[in-house]
Amino acid sequence: MADLAHDNRPGDDEGEEEEVDDASYKTIKDAVLFAIDVSPSMLQRPPPSDDKKADRDSPTSAALKCAYQLMQQRIISNPTDMMGILLFGTEKTHLADGDNTFPHCYLLSDLDVPSANDVKQLRSLVENEEEAAALLRPADEPTSIAAVLFCAIQIFTTKAPNFSSRRLFLVTDNDNPAKIKQDKDTAITRARDLYDLGCTIDLFPISRPGHGFDRSKFYDDLVYPSSPSDPDAPASLPSATKVAKSGDGISLLQQLISSINSKATPRRALFSLPFEIGPGLRIGVKGFIIIKRQEHVKSCYVWVGGEKVQIVASSTSHLADDTARVVEKTELRKAYKFGGDTITFTPEEFTQIRQCFGDPVIRIIGFKPISSLPIWANTGKATFIYPSESDYVGSTRVFSALQQKLINSKKMAVAWFIARRNAAPVITAIIPGEEKYDEDGEQIMPPGLWLIPLPFVDDIRQCPEQADNIKTTEELTDIMRKVIEQLQLPKGVYNPSKYPNPDLQWFYRILQAMALEEEVPEKADDKTIPKYKQIDKRTRGYLAQFGQEFDEEHKRQTRGKLKSSAAPPKKRAATSSAPIEDSKPSKRIKTEPQANGNGGGMTDEDMAALSDRGNISKQSVGALKEFLKARKQPVAGKKIELIERVQQYLESKGL
Amino acid sequence: MAQKEATVYILDLGRSMGEKRNGRSQTNLEWALEYVWDKITTTVATGRKTAMMGVVGYRTDETDVMGAIDDDDGYSNTRIIVPLKQLLLPDIRDLQPQLKPSATNQGDVLSALAVAIQMIDTATTGKTGKPLKYDRRINIITDGYGHMETSDSDAIAAKLKEDEVEMNILGVDFDDAEFGFKEEDKDPEKEQNETTLKDFARKCNGNFATIAEAISQLEIPRTKNTHPVPSYKGTLTLGDSENYDTTLTIDVERYPCTMIAKPPTASSFVVRTDLSGGAGASTQSSATVAGDEHRGDGQLAAVKSQRVYQIDNLDEPGTKTNVEMEDLERGFEYGRTAVHISESDANVVKLETSPCLDLIGFVPEEKFERYLPMSRTNYVVPQRTNTAAALALSSLIHALYESGCYALARLVTRENKAPLLVLLVPRIEPDLECLVDVELPFAEDMRRYKFPPLDKHLTVSGKVITEHRDLPNTQLMQAMNEYVDAMDLSSFDRDDEGEPTEYMKFEDTYSPLLHRINHIIRWRATHPTSPSLPAPPQILTKYSAPPPSLLDRASPQLAALKAAADVKKVPPKQQGRGKRTLRDREKPLSGLDVDALLGNPKRVKIDSTNLIPSFKQALAATDDLEAIQTAAADMARNIREYISTSVGESGYGRALEAIRVMREEITELEEPEIYNSFVRDLKRDLLEGRLRGDRREMWWKIRGSKYGLVERKTCFASEVSEEEAAEFYRSA
Repeated sequence: MADLAHDNRPGDDEGEEEEVDDASYKTIKDAVLFAIDVSPSMLQRPPPSDDKKADRDSPTSAALKCAYQLMQQRIISNPTDMMGILLFGTEKTHLADGDNTFPHCYLLSDLDVPSANDVKQLRSLVENEEEAAALLRPADEPTSIAAVLFCAIQIFTTKAPNFSSRRLFLVTDNDNPAKIKQDKDTAITRARDLYDLGCTIDLFPISRPGHGFDRSKFYDDLVYPSSPSDPDAPASLPSATKVAKSGDGISLLQQLISSINSKATPRRALFSLPFEIGPGLRIGVKGFIIIKRQEHVKSCYVWVGGEKVQIVASSTSHLADDTARVVEKTELRKAYKFGGDTITFTPEEFTQIRQCFGDPVIRIIGFKPISSLPIWANTGKATFIYPSESDYVGSTRVFSALQQKLINSKKMAVAWFIARRNAAPVITAIIPGEEKYDEDGEQIMPPGLWLIPLPFVDDIRQCPEQADNIKTTEELTDIMRKVIEQLQLPKGVYNPSKYPNPDLQWFYRILQAMALEEEVPEKADDKTIPKYKQIDKRTRGYLAQFGQEFDEEHKRQTRGKLKSSAAPPKKRAATSSAPIEDSKPSKRIKTEPQANGNGGGMTDEDMAALSDRGNISKQSVGALKEFLKARKQPVAGKKIELIERVQQYLESKGL
Repeated sequence: MAQKEATVYILDLGRSMGEKRNGRSQTNLEWALEYVWDKITTTVATGRKTAMMGVVGYRTDETDVMGAIDDDDGYSNTRIIVPLKQLLLPDIRDLQPQLKPSATNQGDVLSALAVAIQMIDTATTGKTGKPLKYDRRINIITDGYGHMETSDSDAIAAKLKEDEVEMNILGVDFDDAEFGFKEEDKDPEKEQNETTLKDFARKCNGNFATIAEAISQLEIPRTKNTHPVPSYKGTLTLGDSENYDTTLTIDVERYPCTMIAKPPTASSFVVRTDLSGGAGASTQSSATVAGDEHRGDGQLAAVKSQRVYQIDNLDEPGTKTNVEMEDLERGFEYGRTAVHISESDANVVKLETSPCLDLIGFVPEEKFERYLPMSRTNYVVPQRTNTAAALALSSLIHALYESGCYALARLVTRENKAPLLVLLVPRIEPDLECLVDVELPFAEDMRRYKFPPLDKHLTVSGKVITEHRDLPNTQLMQAMNEYVDAMDLSSFDRDDEGEPTEYMKFEDTYSPLLHRINHIIRWRATHPTSPSLPAPPQILTKYSAPPPSLLDRASPQLAALKAAADVKKVPPKQQGRGKRTLRDREKPLSGLDVDALLGNPKRVKIDSTNLIPSFKQALAATDDLEAIQTAAADMARNIREYISTSVGESGYGRALEAIRVMREEITELEEPEIYNSFVRDLKRDLLEGRLRGDRREMWWKIRGSKYGLVERKTCFASEVSEEEAAEFYRSA
């Protein structure tokens, strides 16, 4: 749907074009309904054990903890998406609006964007054993899975109509819930209804001690290989969701969390494009965003005029500036500002201007060694691509051959890349990504290719010139190398999962505390703060040695220079703090950055000298203002106006 | 920031400039003006008040030096067309018709030059009589005909040199050995003048060139130099200097290294109603403006936005109430709960941080995944003039470089800004030594999607297969291997000395859209009524395809690869209806035929408690048109029911979903008229209030979702044209 809307408005996203990739992720809405089995075996706790890692949770309570965690996580990562929790097999029956159509189905939290109350309620169930015991009492008779599925259909159609993604997360340890054929057939029919409605069943099977989980007995007839709402995505791995079992060293809870995390965000292709390996040789690929900065929600307006604080929705209408009449969106014209007036084009011309570089494509221009891709040339995040057979049969094998060749030869492709109609063409490097697994054999990095946008000459900035020709010595470098050797990250790898975003985590901890009216935590847990103690232990000796060597070398290199240098030696001493501090925290006095530091005290002569050398524009606005202020000149206006005023002042002084 | 500028263009407008020479289809003047307009519009586009321009014509019919020189004796046939000032679009429009060849060949370039010097002098001298800081420039464009009075030339050249005026002389068909042009059978007078001008240019340290060269360089986009602004000035530290004795602290500054240059953005305007014939015309203006020839002449009015704030009305679910701005305060959404944070508490959600660049640890470069960096890059350099910082940073840079490592650091650029994790990479080049930083993802920034392996195939039962149609065979691997090697670019280009060098370096590639838009805006400024747009300059599309000569060489490898790949395009037909007629419905993992299980029913009744699945199954079960119509009619009835029983908007979502499914399914069956007649009726009933109450909001939702008429473009069986479909959305 999002795509449809897109195609119908060519040129409409002019200007916002760069944002589109992120925006399209927001427009798709996802609803997840957890269906958790409550049966005697699901409620059975593992035998007590001294092992700290051993399970303490029954499968049902592990699933609830998982749901609790996912709910909190989704408030952060998918703030507009819905989630609900349905228990089945409970003695009690409870559905929204007192509906009793589905016996032994208990709707713990209705499918909706979670509220603070939902989180609170779920948490008290997870943390309060008595409360949990009262609710989690299994019914005498088993619940029909067909009824659960039909219940899910009703919940999805009423609560999340027209969502692009609706998923039923089914957690159970019963691999054959239908004892007679008729029950099984009804369940199969209901599963098909669910599929036709555009919903997916994600099965999270749990095996019991002495009893495995055999999908082929029942669930393979209910679960469909591809997602109806996401035909773009490659078929999911049949074995992607492992059977979780207890007593394996790793707890059931952790296994469940790991399985569910991999499904936390619905996978959706960003684009589907022809990938031209050479003229006349095209295959199909789909693009996915795997790395994306997760931001916290923007602040919004809330209405405080009533008893309850409410979220405010705002809508914008356009008014013509000259007559203040309301303007329809179709009346708006796009125009460029130019020379104090506007330059405009017809909508057709706008389309032509943006689309004159041809159709969307990834077209390989040639290949280079991967060393031609320095990190300094990075301009943004990489996009993952994976083959698709839907437009070109044989895409996967060709893609695979290319990926393997690039890995083996340490090469990359360079390509001309237009992501969609109206998108700006970019030159991109295409590098191979190898498949990676963790200790448990779970995939942590998918195999495929990555598109890394390259800079144009227009995007590369010059480095400010370095005045001093001061270089390290072999001795200094060698000591520093030892420091580097001492402080290698574990396994020598940067692993993002070790570093949660401290700002994001703090924001949501506070927000959650405020929403739930709890105590606000005092201190943040910030994993990005260096391990100072360890650093000190490992590098103290080397740094002391470096310090001595450094002082001598610094003296040697600056000896002749100080006198010939343009800057007075006095100031130099003030700005150069000794990099090595050998004494106990004599708290360093913060040295003001140079431009500000000498701005206020600058004399007319200094400024005139700067002006004559053409360096006046290099002064900061602050420095200029300070200069003007000290001379009782107005300090309003843009930088250029300030400069003009300074120059006029200097002229008036005859400088 | 750019320096102030004063530029005067001296244009030869003599009769001879109206001639077409050397096989060109343009007159000399038209040709030369390509260059002039490009230069002028480029300056206008910067919008800088301090970039002044003026235009002087000579060999003109009239004489007018606007009092720039007291005694206009000897300045006949010289005319100041535009005095020095910031040129704006209307000035360009005024100037254009005035740049026409005159009826005379009388007039002297040196007179015009004297006028130009005087113009610059007046405009760039301060009140105290001192020359102000300006870039002064005079560009002469001439075809070299006409009489030149050279007696003053030495004095003029000396004056130019003294005032530091940059002098450029560009001539039509001037000889230029370096550029490789020589005009055959040159007019002796022109030859004489060319020599004089060349000599003159040399005397005032000016440039002398043939205009063909200047025009040929117009295509090369100009890149903008931006003054570097530091985003962090502070320390790079190893260890905690507050609590430990021995730590390393280096004063550093951080400047942008890469920064995407964005094309100018268009703003929204609305056609002035007072000009387009009263308010009544506004609704049709979309059609009239599209063909309007008078663009950008103050006919557009700016657009302001007005915001309306609403909350859900708790007393009447499904409706909204407008609220006043004064009852609003700042807050955040936690799920669907509003959390109010008063002004005084605003900082409570902010993590307290202080500016820093703290080293966390190091990673070997070969273990670093190149796809992780997620931002543009920055230079980290020692604090200016701080020798100690320079020495310390240099040793860190070299140590990283020699040990092949990158550093991981925590960066906070300003107080209470969110910390970032950055990778610090050493960069050492002949005249550059620095660290480059780039942002790395946090745990939350990685999406854990899983994809099947590419080098093996897993069956449903988990068995590993190494030979499969989705896996390359040895022949394909071999062909790919040879093709990739044959298409290597790393030594395909030739440098100035003819040595092999890398093709398509960063500095050779220009941002296509940026320069395309800049180019077309400038072009439009001087071609306001031209019906068609020029194609993008070739230099912008050079890297949109592999270089032909390399492809030629690699053609055997490409042919072999194509044969081994054996890729077949899926015919478009098969995606849609083909699937339906084959009854090839998606099967569950087990491959079970669910329809067979149900006994392949011929008719499925629409079940309003299971509306969408039963509708889809009803359509799948039959090919009979009547049955389809019955199903659609049932569906339509249910949709109307949803709407008419809806409390506020509560039923609209379900109705919308049902409409979408109906539209998709009916379109796929190629019976669009069934849907179209339904949606026409529905629209009428919604707008006329026939579905129990004011249901206009439902119509806006249908419109917004684009669930209107199915047009011919979407489904060839439709009789609805694109215009009709568009009109359906518009008309109320």
